[in-house]
Amino acid sequence: MRRPSLARDAIVALALFALLAFLPTVFPSKSFSDFVVRASAFAIFATSLNLLIGYSGMVSFGHGLFFGLGAYSFALLMQKTGSSIPAAIGITLLVTALVATAVGAICVRLKEIYFSFLTLAFQMLLYSVIIAWTDVTGGDQGLTGGVPRPAFLGIRLDDPHHLYVFCCAIMVASLFLMWHLVQSPFGYTLRMIRDNPRRAEFLGIAVWRVRLMAFVVAGVFGGLGGVIISLFVSSAYPDFAYWTISGEAVFMILLGGIGVFLGPLAGAALLLALNDTVTKFTEHYSLVLGIVILVFALGMRKGLLGFGMERWRARAGRGG
Amino acid sequence: MDIQALLTCLASASCIVTQTTGGLISGILLFLVAAGLSLIFGTLKVTNFMHGSLYMLGAYFAYTIYTATGSYALAVVGSALGVAAFGWAFERLFMSRVYGSDVLMQLLVCYSFILILDDAVKIIWGAEFRSMGMPAAFQGPPIVVAGGVLPVFYLFLIGMTLLVAAALGLLITRTRMGKIVRAAAVNPTMTSALGINTTLVYGGVFALGSLLAGLAGALAVPVRSMVSGMGFSILIESFIVTVIGGMGSVAGAMVGALLIGLVRSFGSIGFPLFTEGLMFAFMTAVLIVKPSGLFGREA
Amino acid sequence: MLRIEGLEKSFGGVAAIKDVSLDFSAGSLTAVIGPNGAGKTSFFNLVSGLLRPDAGRVLLEGKDIAGLPAPEIVRRGIGRAFQIASIFPSLTVRESILGAVHAHRRDHTGVGRRFPLAEARAEADEVMELVGLSAEADRLSGSLSHGDQKVLDIALALALRPKVLLLDEPTAGMGSEERWQMMETVHGLWSKRQMTLVFIEHDMDIVFKFAQTIRVLCYGSVLAEGTPEDVRRHPKVIEAYLGSQYSAEVAG
Repeated sequence: MRRPSLARDAIVALALFALLAFLPTVFPSKSFSDFVVRASAFAIFATSLNLLIGYSGMVSFGHGLFFGLGAYSFALLMQKTGSSIPAAIGITLLVTALVATAVGAICVRLKEIYFSFLTLAFQMLLYSVIIAWTDVTGGDQGLTGGVPRPAFLGIRLDDPHHLYVFCCAIMVASLFLMWHLVQSPFGYTLRMIRDNPRRAEFLGIAVWRVRLMAFVVAGVFGGLGGVIISLFVSSAYPDFAYWTISGEAVFMILLGGIGVFLGPLAGAALLLALNDTVTKFTEHYSLVLGIVILVFALGMRKGLLGFGMERWRARAGRGG
Repeated sequence: MDIQALLTCLASASCIVTQTTGGLISGILLFLVAAGLSLIFGTLKVTNFMHGSLYMLGAYFAYTIYTATGSYALAVVGSALGVAAFGWAFERLFMSRVYGSDVLMQLLVCYSFILILDDAVKIIWGAEFRSMGMPAAFQGPPIVVAGGVLPVFYLFLIGMTLLVAAALGLLITRTRMGKIVRAAAVNPTMTSALGINTTLVYGGVFALGSLLAGLAGALAVPVRSMVSGMGFSILIESFIVTVIGGMGSVAGAMVGALLIGLVRSFGSIGFPLFTEGLMFAFMTAVLIVKPSGLFGREA
Repeated sequence: MLRIEGLEKSFGGVAAIKDVSLDFSAGSLTAVIGPNGAGKTSFFNLVSGLLRPDAGRVLLEGKDIAGLPAPEIVRRGIGRAFQIASIFPSLTVRESILGAVHAHRRDHTGVGRRFPLAEARAEADEVMELVGLSAEADRLSGSLSHGDQKVLDIALALALRPKVLLLDEPTAGMGSEERWQMMETVHGLWSKRQMTLVFIEHDMDIVFKFAQTIRVLCYGSVLAEGTPEDVRRHPKVIEAYLGSQYSAEVAG
């Protein structure tokens, strides 16, 4: 049985990172590196959501909770406490993990549609707190004053080139970690729970506990995506916690292919490209996006899950 | 957190009356929306994720008809029927195509419509907040109860909703059509095998659910302002209401909606920053104690 | 090994299981039979933890497991296969069984190393060998034939090295030749693994050929129990299956 080995994957990841780091010499424009940085934030975010939707069968509508939480926690920590960037990231991830544990403990035991809606409700709760707590969060204007970027380990994130390389490194590392997770026994337990939770119980697995673990892991990576976006815009905006961010992430996953690990990455890049292109011509981006999504949803009537599964099976059949 | 303000209010009869009526009104509007959502879910087993947009359409339709004709009655009836027709078309043309698919596909279809409608509303009516103001018929002086204010319009709202709720109840339980709807909810294959046109039933139920949402929007317009995207928060609230009351239960929706309305009304005094949080705390508590909702059946 | 005492369960006022007391000795091979609706699957559900009994005790090696959550009961040693094969369609046969082995070894939440862990491979291979699925090892479970899926279901339970294995109609939905093959497989793994095996079955020929002892359930109660010979002659059993006219014949 051919199994991707840890060593092989590490080499692939390093190669990918090297390639990404090299690209700005070929495409020196600012819009290119901006695109890659934004895409890396969303790639991490969407891939983390796919851990839940694609691999665990847990359809969360409220994953944006962690994106927004990550962005605001990081930005506020940097603004108010003068902490170093690595420390701020560390604390942000810790906070995200705690919130994910609390929210997950409530949501994870619920049946499908209740789980979906309750996660969304919690996200909107965060959103409403962000909007209302103007003293701390700046309300609907977002955080003003910028996010300070003190140098650490010789890395100066106020230099766009450093920022580019840093974000690429974080993205590649995050995706590598999530891939490893998915290829570990834990990942296969998630697949078993997705396919047949009752049977998993009858293998002695405490299904809700494993689901909670998945929820927390996904939440932490979602928060990391929020950190990246906050660095990019040097602020934090309520939009990062608005429900549309979750909807877009779902679309990214379906666009790229739910059964494919790098699908969300592709979907993120595609959607951002669409966004950039459309907003050049019209301010009615929502309308265009809505039509695109509708056409896509009706066209993939079988459900991309079926489509993705078939491709996956074909691959597995050939490969096994 | 401002507990002092809350206690002061609770000590004052006029404050209690004003807040209670305000809360009841929120609750009633929420009930109409939630009832529609619950009806669609109960029969079609589909969550109409864009239900809030129907509420928004109802508000804008009513506003347009009223400003054009000066008749609020026409506005209410017209917008309710208009949204019902829209709902019917949406179900027949789009939703029905994804019934068999993954719930993610259904979500995407609804999501796409939220996006499309939000922008459409911006394009047609503009992106600013709009207010209709109180229709001439209700511009009389408010009724004063124990020092608290009770606008005449509120009485109309309450009366209208009770009428609609009663009509809905009778429709579902007493008429042949209601029986068919309930049968189709329980066993669609059998119902269709009995020669009943289930597609008509599905379209009809969706239209009815949409009508309720649109009606709520039309009734809300004199007392709420309108803006693109206003549908979403009411979607979340109506979902919370159905969770608390129990999916598929109309009585549950009523109780849940009134409770939420009151929690919001009094909560906004005591916890101005965390009013939403109160609702969630309440819902979480209900979910822990009775996961299928106060009136819900174990689905 | 497994003793059931005074088991009761009602659904909405209808008693599905009424005061059932049964004993299954270690290493025995028992068939549970009875007309449709007799409560056989409910009985399995109660013992394996899918349902919670209203009253009664289920003693596994002397300890009461009644009412415990299913994963806990499974971990204590009760394995179960289902009437309609309950498997993981998107995983291959090998992956599914490996997954079960990992769960048994409590390695299923490990993230340090890649799946599958080396320690689990040998065990999974052995289980596949035992049930005869080695040839299908890399096929997707969802694409297996009905019969193979039932076998896989059993293999998943076997991977847990259960003390008691409950098979709910292992031959359901199979043609007569396939049924005998399945039972040969079941008998083979029973004798190799020396476990207590209980199976629900409708085909009387199979029951009388393979079972050491038989328990007959009817309308939620125990109608008879004993060796195949005892049960075959038992007037109540004949009455339940064929009607009272025949029981008189046999008794006479």
